[in-house]
Amino acid sequence: MYCSPLSPALASGNSTLVLVGHPNVGKSVLFHRLTGTYVNVSNYPGTTVEAARAAARFDRAASLLDTPGVLALPSRSDDERATMRALLNENLRLIVQVGDAKSLRRTLNLTALLAELGVPLVLALNMADEARARGVAIDTAALSEGLATPVVSTVATGGEGITALTDTLASARVPAPLLRYDDEIEQAIETVAALLAESAPHPHLAARGLAILLLGRDSEVERWIKTQAAGGEILARIHGLAPLTGPDSLPARLARERGRAAAALARTVTRQDAAPDRTLSLLFGKIAVHPLWGWPLLLAVLYAIYLFVGDFGAGVLVGLMEEKFFAGILNPGITDFVRTHLGQGWLADMLVGEYGLWTMGMTYALALILPIVTTFFLAFGVLEDSGYFSRLSVIANRAFAFLGLNGRAVLPMVLGLGCVTMATLTTRILHTPRERLITTFLLALAIPCSAQLGVVLGVLGGISFSAAALWGLCIVLILLFTGWLSGRLVKGHRIPLVTELPPMRMPVMGNVLKKTAGRLKWYLAEVIPLFLLGTFIMFALDRLGALPWVIEAGKPLVTGWLGLPPEASAAFVMGFLRRDFGATGLFILGSQLNALQAVVGMFTLTLFVPCIASVMMIVKEQGIRIAALMLAIIMPTAFFVGGLLNHFLRFAGF
Amino acid sequence: MIARTVRIRLTGTPTGHRVRLAEFGEEIDPLQREQLIAYGLTAQQTLTVLQQRPMTVILCEHMELALEHWVAHHIWVEEETRKPG
Repeated sequence: MYCSPLSPALASGNSTLVLVGHPNVGKSVLFHRLTGTYVNVSNYPGTTVEAARAAARFDRAASLLDTPGVLALPSRSDDERATMRALLNENLRLIVQVGDAKSLRRTLNLTALLAELGVPLVLALNMADEARARGVAIDTAALSEGLATPVVSTVATGGEGITALTDTLASARVPAPLLRYDDEIEQAIETVAALLAESAPHPHLAARGLAILLLGRDSEVERWIKTQAAGGEILARIHGLAPLTGPDSLPARLARERGRAAAALARTVTRQDAAPDRTLSLLFGKIAVHPLWGWPLLLAVLYAIYLFVGDFGAGVLVGLMEEKFFAGILNPGITDFVRTHLGQGWLADMLVGEYGLWTMGMTYALALILPIVTTFFLAFGVLEDSGYFSRLSVIANRAFAFLGLNGRAVLPMVLGLGCVTMATLTTRILHTPRERLITTFLLALAIPCSAQLGVVLGVLGGISFSAAALWGLCIVLILLFTGWLSGRLVKGHRIPLVTELPPMRMPVMGNVLKKTAGRLKWYLAEVIPLFLLGTFIMFALDRLGALPWVIEAGKPLVTGWLGLPPEASAAFVMGFLRRDFGATGLFILGSQLNALQAVVGMFTLTLFVPCIASVMMIVKEQGIRIAALMLAIIMPTAFFVGGLLNHFLRFAGF
Repeated sequence: MIARTVRIRLTGTPTGHRVRLAEFGEEIDPLQREQLIAYGLTAQQTLTVLQQRPMTVILCEHMELALEHWVAHHIWVEEETRKPG
């Protein structure tokens, strides 16, 4: 029975429903179920780094907001601040808290804070199937009564409980508070709430909830209060109320009391039954983080990726697409058609000539890059859906400690192997600006994206496995050295790793295919215009007679220092737009390169400037000054160490 | 035979043992303390130690958590033992 009155928010026709919850509890899958809009979903925390919005299927006038996962509120990380911003600024109708049914205590810990905000709330206990598999039985009716608001069990991946959830949204209520804090804290809350109600009332959030957040030092709420007329004065009074650091600080006491209340309520509504056997999933999970067996498993995974992407994607599929289909059938037909209708003039050359928009730009994008990125995204999707990536952060933690980071940084790094631009955005899951800066720099310098990786594996794998391995070794050494140096030069200290390990599971092929399709669409939309622009620049340089000049000008560096054929200068010009475009330029030179030149060329291009989209993302995330500084370091470094490698390999008789 | 509690470090707990969380050491900074509470690590919570290397991995309710040794070293837990006699 729900006893709280309907919130004014419902009556006034507010239109935003916001999904809030811990990381990796299925918010994005639920968002997809409720809106029909697909956002990227994965079996690891931190997939959603920006809020996504779409119209709700069950009420087209309402919009649904998917927020980044919050470990806890008050907000401490960028994701948590983004979620808090949404709560502060959206015209909220209700909050749908998405919780993990198998960790009810943790879920209720967050509910204890959300319940104080004065906004109607529905609790979706998601992943109910995983809870059942562990013998966890939750009395949702009793929990609903305890919270005085609807609680629904859901399995978002299978669509279970979605109708029940949408049906209960209309009966959402402002939940009953889960606890009364101790007298001293309650007095502080009342004082701050009274100040807020009088001097800075929020349009839809309760003063008591905001007071708890302010006493907990929520930086986003502090930022909001500073925009209010009496904000500075209120903040000064709050800061004078209680100690703010140490184990008995007010934020720590607030969190501790919420934790106790959540534990007490969870105990009363949860029953632990005998659980079915999960031996296989646990065994795989254990092997993946085993200090000894974790490494052979990682090497086996990397080798499987090499076989699938480098051998099958860059070898078999590219062979079929480029040699058989494009070079054998499509391009001769299109060239004939264009020449027949446009003759032999510059326009026809621009379309189907040596630097033609079709014969070079589209052929590179579709015949060379598409098969490679498709196989990479498929392999990547399988790994992320299995829950392996979070375990990777455990075994990589020690190596990342050497870089002044913790194992959490492995997630953006691995994502960078898919697309550096996406990965730069994902650095937001890291907890400190220092970690984000170092990780962004390493991504920009030494992490090849899937297209480039595929081209590299295609070229070097075609020469020998040892050439590909040598390239990999050099990249790892550069990564370790520059990371180590950055860790010492960038101010701040390293945060020890504490991370959740989601359950290992069989990848759901539907999820993998959807994710691959979504990423390919995003990738091609970004790649094709840049490939066409790059091709046009090459065409213009060639027509104006500047290309031979560029090749001649680049000779001392490209031929003298790097030991590459003069034509490789063109690949570096192309590399300014995208590194994979440049790498494809070297791929085409293929037969003109010996093993040493191929390794040096690919190594230098891997370190060369990140693509334009990545640079824009770095500007967005780190500011133009940092982005310019990174480029100023990366370009000379690429040529310098590329040349060193050339001379070292020649000296070593490679 | 009287049961008594012995307070040990989480890093000193053998794999497979179930322990109760006693308290966080003062060395753990407030932000990390809040993070641990948010993961459900509160006093008297039962934890099962799944492994100790390369990191301490514990089962808290049904969630697996990996903790770097520095953090686990400053978490105090209690293990029930039997006092002889």
